[in-house]
Amino acid sequence: MTDIRFYLILFAAAGLFSLLPLGLGDYHLHVMIVSLYYLMMASSWNLLAGYTGQVSFAHAAFAGIGAYTSGILAVEFGVNPWAGVIIGTAAASLLGLGVGVLCLRMGGIYLSLTTLGFSEILRIVITNEYDITRGTMGLQVPGLVEEYSKAAYFYIMLGAAMITLIVLYKLIYSNKGLCFRAVQNDERAAASLGVDVVKVRVLAFTVSSALAGLAGGLYGHYLHLITPEIPSLDQQFLVLSMTVIGGMGSFLGPVIGAFSLEILSEYIRAYGEYHVLVFGLIALVVARFAPNGLMGLAASRLPGGPAPAVTVPSTGKS
Amino acid sequence: MALLEGLRLSKRFGGVTALSEVSFTVEEGTIVGLIGPNGAGKTTLFNLVAGALKPDSGRVVFRGEDITGLSPNIVCRHGIARTFQVTRPFGTMTCLENVAVGVINSPRSESDGNWRATALHYLETVGVEDLAFTEARHLNVVQKKKLEIARALATRPKILMLDEVLGGLNSQEIVQAVDFIRRLRDELHLTVFWIEHVMGAIMKAAEKVIVLDQGQHLMEGTPEQVVADSRVIHAYLGE
Repeated sequence: MTDIRFYLILFAAAGLFSLLPLGLGDYHLHVMIVSLYYLMMASSWNLLAGYTGQVSFAHAAFAGIGAYTSGILAVEFGVNPWAGVIIGTAAASLLGLGVGVLCLRMGGIYLSLTTLGFSEILRIVITNEYDITRGTMGLQVPGLVEEYSKAAYFYIMLGAAMITLIVLYKLIYSNKGLCFRAVQNDERAAASLGVDVVKVRVLAFTVSSALAGLAGGLYGHYLHLITPEIPSLDQQFLVLSMTVIGGMGSFLGPVIGAFSLEILSEYIRAYGEYHVLVFGLIALVVARFAPNGLMGLAASRLPGGPAPAVTVPSTGKS
Repeated sequence: MALLEGLRLSKRFGGVTALSEVSFTVEEGTIVGLIGPNGAGKTTLFNLVAGALKPDSGRVVFRGEDITGLSPNIVCRHGIARTFQVTRPFGTMTCLENVAVGVINSPRSESDGNWRATALHYLETVGVEDLAFTEARHLNVVQKKKLEIARALATRPKILMLDEVLGGLNSQEIVQAVDFIRRLRDELHLTVFWIEHVMGAIMKAAEKVIVLDQGQHLMEGTPEQVVADSRVIHAYLGE
């Protein structure tokens, strides 16, 4: 994908999207706003899991850091929500840096467990520090715009999603991105070719956490109510499912996964929290039978896509 | 002049002594073979030089500089490149991208931001340019070994450390490969430090051969001296 093509597609898509508030009612607009939130979450988690192979379970937690930092600043100190979102993003990136450094010597399952622990600690702290966070009741926070309108928040989230995708694109399709993928494939081989594995892993963790913090901060102010649901493991697994089902390690995969799963979940909302279970099962099936997700399936079906992996001897089927 | 020098290098894994006080020198511009029976410590020695393992004692000196215990990526930047005994390609990346990783991280890179042409050049050097846009996991063993050499060359090393690159080749191909490595050395002004089980190849290519046995430096000399040495024959064939 060349730069020009990427920006053309991005701005064309954003242009089409920006027409949506003209035709959609409040409910559908809400679904779109939530989808854009998940797009940011899944895409930035993909940078970590899909491009450097660090399967973190703390991504929703970093969104929570962004949301609560901004929310508490607004409620306790009257900080402007926009400034709060920026500070929340910075806080998430700093904590991401810290957790990233902590997890440096860990790979695979150990990193996953450590981030799982971090996520759980955060949940317990938020639930119990009732005076500051209002626990499970949720923290009521001011909005980002004077006059509440779904359309305004839709444009804000659209803008933030575009920023997220541009940052990720710049990173993934740069020389750094090559190093990311080299590290994901084989750390030892990457190091032997001069790649600073430590720097790559920490950079990915920091950027990815910052983007989660940004998404969480904006989302909290949109909802006007920040609850421990935002940094919950439910949310984490939802983001994971979206990425895996859409196509982990592909740029568009998480975007497609976010929209399709969020929209689908609106249809099966009647079954309550079971939809997370359903998504988990779908993600498992996809991981087993189509490891490259929907994007991988699309690529192998489309004539212009990358050729099917191996030159499999013809079996008569096409 | 000694380009690479190991001074009394030792490495233990738990109770097992993999290397014990091994010293060696690799002279600039030569091809030096490293041989020995299985478990002699050859790959461990490579790992100590390349920074993949830290020695328990001893020093590694490269171009007069102490590089003992530096991380692999720093060692690479000093001008030491290696291949792995069991190849380690970046499977989900194309061959071109595999080589590009070496190009973009080399402080001596000539590519000026355009790594494509440079990476392709190194694929051509080893003769797998037609696989440039194939993901590395689809390569066969021989192609993977060639890719690893291209990747290592792309870092523009002063010394190339090859760990059993001839496995899987037939005798005809081995002759070609030996010619190829010699040509590489001459054209790129390389020094080659080469672990190989295929004795015929090492005997033909190397100016000096170092023999390890059970973690100890057994002897070193010209290929003729080595094959005639009773200790070497004994190490390989037993009583």
